[in-house]
Amino acid sequence: MGLLTILKKMKQKEREMRLLMLGLDNAGKTTILKKFNGEDVSTISPTLGFNIKTLEHRGFKLNIWDVGGQKSLRSYWRNYFESTDGLVWVVDSADRLRLEDCRQELSALLLEERLAGATLLVFANKQDLPGALSKEAIREALALDEIKSHHWCIIGCSAVTGENLLAGVDWLLDDIAARIFTAD
Amino acid sequence: MDAAAEVRQENGFAGESGATKMQERLQKRHQARTEDAERRKEAKESQSVAEEKGEYFSSTFNRERLCIEELLSGCSGADRATVTQRLEEATAKTVRLQKFLNDSVLFLTQYELRQAQAALQKLQTSLAETREEALPKKKFAFRARTKAADKASAPVSDPAPPDVASATPTGAAEVDGAAASEQCGFSNMDNEFLTKTSEEIQKRDVLLTHLSNCKVRLLGSPSTLHLKHIDSCEILCGPVSSSVFVDHCRNSTLSFPCQQLRTHNTTDTQVYLHVTSRAIIEDCHGVSFAPLSWSYPTLEEDFSVSGLDRDRNNWSQVDDFNWLAAGTPSPNWTIIPESERKTNWDP
Ligand SMILES: Nc1nc2c(ncn2[C@@H]2O[C@H](COP(=O)(O)OP(=O)(O)OP(=O)(O)O)[C@@H](O)[C@H]2O)c(=O)[nH]1
Ligand SMILES: [Mg+2]
Repeated sequence: MGLLTILKKMKQKEREMRLLMLGLDNAGKTTILKKFNGEDVSTISPTLGFNIKTLEHRGFKLNIWDVGGQKSLRSYWRNYFESTDGLVWVVDSADRLRLEDCRQELSALLLEERLAGATLLVFANKQDLPGALSKEAIREALALDEIKSHHWCIIGCSAVTGENLLAGVDWLLDDIAARIFTAD
Repeated sequence: MDAAAEVRQENGFAGESGATKMQERLQKRHQARTEDAERRKEAKESQSVAEEKGEYFSSTFNRERLCIEELLSGCSGADRATVTQRLEEATAKTVRLQKFLNDSVLFLTQYELRQAQAALQKLQTSLAETREEALPKKKFAFRARTKAADKASAPVSDPAPPDVASATPTGAAEVDGAAASEQCGFSNMDNEFLTKTSEEIQKRDVLLTHLSNCKVRLLGSPSTLHLKHIDSCEILCGPVSSSVFVDHCRNSTLSFPCQQLRTHNTTDTQVYLHVTSRAIIEDCHGVSFAPLSWSYPTLEEDFSVSGLDRDRNNWSQVDDFNWLAAGTPSPNWTIIPESERKTNWDP
């Protein structure tokens, strides 16, 4: 094997990222994951435990962890923090009643030491619904502008139509790539 | 049954043994990463294969950087349209430059990398500064409203004066206020017969709260249905295109088609269900299930509006999130025996 081949091999190995997708139950995490992977989204059940998908995108190998958000599962979230490069926080933009709950869960996560290095992407999901709040309203309700500890970005999307899912993931990849594949 | 098995295949179980296994896997992965980094370092130190590429990189990188800097410096004094266009181009170029850098990482020395990364950082900063200067962001509407009162005396960019701050509702409070006015549904009723038509609820988020001894008929296809604090009611609803939430409900009878059913803190309640994925319960007991058995004139129409599969009904597959022991059935829910199922739905 020539040197370049070896280098290429290692490079491939290295261009692996671990993304952790969290959010309240019913936010649309599993729907996002399946839609992104081109699967049928009409038969998705509430997640009891977690799903993992490994996808190739733009030459990166993405290991995406989608963990259930029901109350009884939230205490298990911490089992998935280790080695997370990117945190995807999914919000049901139509669920006005639980925005405060949503803000609290997110701000608790951002204090986690093991997530300290992770980039944060907030998906303001379900933008296709007429009653959905805009991403600016979500940004305000979750007090995102107060986050100084993480690189973050909020993107309005719809897991049902697929709108903006790619844009969000691309932003996340660029931000992570800039950190972990250039600095060491 | 097959479909269920397939869905489960990729699922993990979040219990303790799962956690330990995962810990091991993560450990291994971390080790592999560290080793790779070591090997790569060695390879870098001992080779010169990439020199040529390094040169190509730095000339391309610098050319692009200059180009972006020019775009930015041309923004001062230009009109809004020109600025917008220049900023857009500069942004796109910067993103591309970052990609180019990421793709070239392998061939660069540590020094080159740091230089390039620093240069990019600088570009991004001046890009943001130029944008802020030339096209100041519109402030978010909620805030703008509270500021409007003292707009006349204070410049727009000033922070809100302290006396306003205490009176200013938080984002969440504003949002809740909006929710109250726009929310479709019924609340705080006792002993009533309540109905909504298709036009009133179609594609809407419908909320029923604090109802007791009521009969409710929602004849249409909402996008989501929330039932909260329900006591001794009979609630029937047409096809719900995504999920139904049931929370703090007791001694009631519910019936609807939906994609998901998420039941919490509910006791002694019967659910006549058509669910195309699965129903779940959390902190419930005495919940029983049977297949949907009532109809109304436009049910079929509403089914097609909702997009739900008429032929897929998993009403008897219920996940209890408080009962994670595989093999033994949950004591918190049952199937209603056929002989005991309700057949007359006249109000
Ligand atoms: N209209 C609309 N509905 C959506 C969208 N994304 C998800 N949903 C619906 O929202 C419900 C919940 O979606 P899931 O993907 O199961 O949510 P989740 O975040 O994985 O929930 P948990 O597994 O309990 O944590 C489903 O009925 C989806 O069809 C969206 O963008 N638009
Ligand atoms: Mg899920």
